[in-house]
Amino acid sequence: MKSKTLLVLPVAAALLAPPAAAHHSFAMFDNTRSVTLHGKVTSYQWTNPHSYLEIDAEDGKGGTKHYTMEMTSPNMLHRGGWSSRTVKPGDVVTAVMSPLRDGQAGGLLLELTLPNGTKMLPGVPNAQRYKITS
Amino acid sequence: MRTALLLAALLAGSATSAADHPDFSGTWERYPPPGEKADPRYAPSAIPDPQLKPQYRAEWEAGQKILKQRLEEGQPAGDNYVHCIPDGMPAMMMGMFPMEIFQRPEQINIAQEAFNQTRRIYMNQKLPKWDEVDPSFYGASVGHWEGDTLVIETTGIKDNVRFRWTPHSEGMKITERIHLLAPDILQDRITVEDSYLEKPWTYSYSFRRMKDYKLQEYVCEDNREYVGTDGSQHLRIDK
Repeated sequence: MKSKTLLVLPVAAALLAPPAAAHHSFAMFDNTRSVTLHGKVTSYQWTNPHSYLEIDAEDGKGGTKHYTMEMTSPNMLHRGGWSSRTVKPGDVVTAVMSPLRDGQAGGLLLELTLPNGTKMLPGVPNAQRYKITS
Repeated sequence: MRTALLLAALLAGSATSAADHPDFSGTWERYPPPGEKADPRYAPSAIPDPQLKPQYRAEWEAGQKILKQRLEEGQPAGDNYVHCIPDGMPAMMMGMFPMEIFQRPEQINIAQEAFNQTRRIYMNQKLPKWDEVDPSFYGASVGHWEGDTLVIETTGIKDNVRFRWTPHSEGMKITERIHLLAPDILQDRITVEDSYLEKPWTYSYSFRRMKDYKLQEYVCEDNREYVGTDGSQHLRIDK
């Protein structure tokens, strides 16, 4: 994928930013780069204060590695067109995330491509600050 | 014919009650929402710094320095939400997420989607003295109408429930004047009075009516974020 930022994706991201985006800071994620994962969903947790998507991603060596991705809150996701049933365990998806700075296997979900090809944006506040490089 | 008469009667009835007091019932969002430019007629005021007395100013300034620094670093401000704790008053009225107003002659409730917060305003009752109530997040609130303006007085806020890290006494009093600037635009003019302040702290918020929006549940159920002893934020990954 070519390097781009979410700035060029006009819809959900701009609408979903809360009035004060600094309540939950996403500083623990490295916004200078992204990682693209392809694999099977093991869990999609629809909870506050954040939702989580967990996948077993292909590691390119025939095996898989488990990743935890943080999302925004269910109410914000809902306003952006998501529901608790948008993805389910077993779905094979492509996820783009800003990785955790501390090296743990996880990140902030920036884009999710569903099995039917639909690309979903999780409405990260100030999404334009997160570079997609993968 | 009967239907028409009934309709006329109903319309007359609602017109009468609407003439008594404006109806704020419904769902509202902060105006302007992010990415939208405010109509200058309805724009909220800027929020000035609180004019604290000298003995409280140092604490506030130290806090603001940390806040600013953390914001620049993109670190969490360390406020309530990071710890899964609701706003309380007056911070709740910043309208993080949509809010809903339930209006009855004797009581008005305001619900905020974030953290399922609810404040209850009892109409035409006397405001208790601050030391007559147990300090809480939303305090004791009473309301009355002054023409088309709903005036709400609140006291009894816990001293650790703070807006913009501003220290205050348990005797803090919040007075809100809420009125419609337009049929679908509501303004809340907030004045905070406290013995910690040199002079009252005043600012306003504007809200726009949302059509057909239903507030969603918000239970802070699984907070996996935590702030380390060095102030940095981490994600707890169970595996």
